[in-house]
Amino acid sequence: MKTERSTQVFNVAGYLILTLISLLCLLPFLLIISGSFTAETEILADGFKLIPNDFTLLAYKAVFSEPGQILKAYQVTILITLCGTLVGLFLTSMTGYVLSRKDFLYRNQLSFFIYFTTLFSGGLIPWYILIVRYLDLKDSYLSLVLPALVGAWNIILMKNFIKSIPESIVESAKIDGAGDFTIYRKLILPLSTPGLATIGLFMALAYWNDWFSANLFITSGDKYPLQFLLYKILASAAVLKTNIAGNLSADMKPPAETLKMAAAVVVTGPIIFLYPFVQRFFVKGLTIGAIKG
Amino acid sequence: MAQTKRKKAGIGMLAALLLATTLAGCSKDNNKPSASGSASPNASASGNTSPAASEANKPDISKKVTLNWYLLGDAHKDTEKVVAEWNKMLEQDLNTTVKLNFTSWTDWQTKYNLLLTSGEKIDMIFASSWADYYKFAKKGAFMDLKDLLPTYAPETWNTVPKQDWDDVSVGESIFAVPSTFPEYTPDGIVYREDWRQQLNLPEITDLNSIEAYLDGVKKAKPKVIPINGKAWNEQFYLFLSNFDFKQIGGDSGLIVAKSYDTPRDIVAYPFTQEFEDWVKRMKTWAQKGFWSSNTLSDQQEAGDGIKTGNGAVYWRNPAGAGGFINDLKKSNPDIQLGYFPFTRFHNYATPNLSINNGMAIPKSAANPERSLMVLDKLRNDPKYFNLMTYGIAGLHYDDLGDGKHIVVPAKGQDPKVVTKYDIASWGWRYEPNMRSEEGGWDGLDKLNEEFKAESKPNIFAPVLMDYQEVKTQVTAVNQVFQQYGQPLMMGLVSDPEKALATYREKLKKAGIDELLAYVQKQTNAYLDEKGIQ
Repeated sequence: MKTERSTQVFNVAGYLILTLISLLCLLPFLLIISGSFTAETEILADGFKLIPNDFTLLAYKAVFSEPGQILKAYQVTILITLCGTLVGLFLTSMTGYVLSRKDFLYRNQLSFFIYFTTLFSGGLIPWYILIVRYLDLKDSYLSLVLPALVGAWNIILMKNFIKSIPESIVESAKIDGAGDFTIYRKLILPLSTPGLATIGLFMALAYWNDWFSANLFITSGDKYPLQFLLYKILASAAVLKTNIAGNLSADMKPPAETLKMAAAVVVTGPIIFLYPFVQRFFVKGLTIGAIKG
Repeated sequence: MAQTKRKKAGIGMLAALLLATTLAGCSKDNNKPSASGSASPNASASGNTSPAASEANKPDISKKVTLNWYLLGDAHKDTEKVVAEWNKMLEQDLNTTVKLNFTSWTDWQTKYNLLLTSGEKIDMIFASSWADYYKFAKKGAFMDLKDLLPTYAPETWNTVPKQDWDDVSVGESIFAVPSTFPEYTPDGIVYREDWRQQLNLPEITDLNSIEAYLDGVKKAKPKVIPINGKAWNEQFYLFLSNFDFKQIGGDSGLIVAKSYDTPRDIVAYPFTQEFEDWVKRMKTWAQKGFWSSNTLSDQQEAGDGIKTGNGAVYWRNPAGAGGFINDLKKSNPDIQLGYFPFTRFHNYATPNLSINNGMAIPKSAANPERSLMVLDKLRNDPKYFNLMTYGIAGLHYDDLGDGKHIVVPAKGQDPKVVTKYDIASWGWRYEPNMRSEEGGWDGLDKLNEEFKAESKPNIFAPVLMDYQEVKTQVTAVNQVFQQYGQPLMMGLVSDPEKALATYREKLKKAGIDELLAYVQKQTNAYLDEKGIQ
């Protein structure tokens, strides 16, 4: 099949521009990676370079001087992400399904009640008091999972998605003698995989990137998730630049530039490799959803 | 076909794997809350019995108690080991164990705030003037210790000087136990002494000799930028110290007292003749290339410049200078450094407030009495003090037995594996128990001697200002300061005189006069209260 000349030109231009843009996106990553392999003194003297003159593994040796900590943090993050996302999806989809059923009398009132929470929030201190004093979740993994488990916005998304599934399917199942939970499990869940994939992605990303709740609630070092560990390294460097540093003991040293880079690589690297594989999954789910409407 | 099948199988296996790990993870997760849940009734139950204890003369410690302590910053990697050791001792002596928590430096102000405002059960927390001790004390976040101290921390009550108790008093109440460690952290500069000798430059004694030094270095080594990095602190504190302008209440921005001896003579320094002379002088400094033209946006520390041989001067306080010099001795033994404290401009030094570091008990504490007893032991018993401050003897350090020095790490330990034990132990510092590290920079001790001999009380730091009434002016003035003041002081404007006129005019518009009046009022009130003229 022959393509027209204008299409060819368009394709060539498109590829060129996209290549350029993706190169631009890759550049910062390259800088981080090459920075992590550069000698500290070289960075101090000449700044960051794409190709280091002096190749060294020192920063990685420093990062892995305590490999247990990073492995443990990985474990925590993966555990929280998986638990949170799976349980969250289950609860969200169930709520969404119930709210979408026309025979649920107070569905609009309840929807509004849920929606209402997106407009107002108690703020940081009440949230903290609730979790620490009333739920007694300080320094517990649950404090990382619970707060983000069910989101109002996700419920609304899910409800609208399930609404698009024809009512008659539910009815036919009922005629065949299926109970409400069987309908949800056997019909609604499989039919809403695209929606589940989308929301699952949101939730998983939120859990993976969440450092703030760990910052507030986790006090023992072996429960730190990955992002918080990384953030902590950077934050102690920042504190040393403020005037508090004058009060600190003189032996506290900021982590070297290269160490920061190496930590970033160690923390994000594996996810980048995992991403193409998982992403295919999502893209497929999303396009199926698009065709079915 | 076969390939897609295999792919599907792969995905299936992955899904199974994920599910398995999730289930395993969830079950692990479920165990946790029950463990923490069983611990809490213990703590609250013991809280009920303690009021009865305060009646007796000898504190009753028959009830086993777990205390919840908070320190700023991060734990050391061996903290768990050290605290376990400590708890063994505490259990024996006081029938108590302590859970030691750390805030970590991530967003620590937010966290500190939450800890104190949420009413969490905390039995002791680090407190400090730079962590808003006075603000929290006035708001009632801390417990008044005045009546508890003589009974539960008698040794501390007797060894802390009266002046230090006065420092932490707010009204009639004492809300914290200050550290007992007269500390001087004046500003000063670290400089390349070897270059000074090599280039035959004059000894650094005043502003002119600093200028001569910078000039000499720049002329002889054109590639070197003498203050290589963000030079703001180097320049700004030189300015304040040179004219003896004193900032009030920690950091009062543009409002200063004109000298130590005239604390009531308060001005906005941009409107002084001294400032006018200074910015003209700084213009020449910038032109001579003492710092780079992008110095204000530069994120590099000037100290890094020294490390790479491209810089000569770095702003540090004496303790910080000590750390920096020790560090460089190891990494660049060929570099010789000197230190010049800005106290030598006017030949007096003021110690930090005692509450620069201290320990306080939040109002919500379950066992304040026991907590004080632990602190009393920790401060005064060298066994406790050394363990929690320097780590485990024979591992983290060796005591040299002269009552002054320790060796870090202990003999036979690999310094790469055993790093110096270092947590935020500043709150329980007690000078007679403190040890310095053998082989450290000896200049620090000499400087401290010098400061002690010329010490004058610190009358400016305790002035408490929350700027509530003049909030908008503070924001506006700060903005003007950043936009016009900083470039002007760094000599980065083309015409200093014109820029100065603009700066002053913008400051007036931003409301510097109201701000000045506010600071004046607060300072007067404080000075009246303390009876200082």
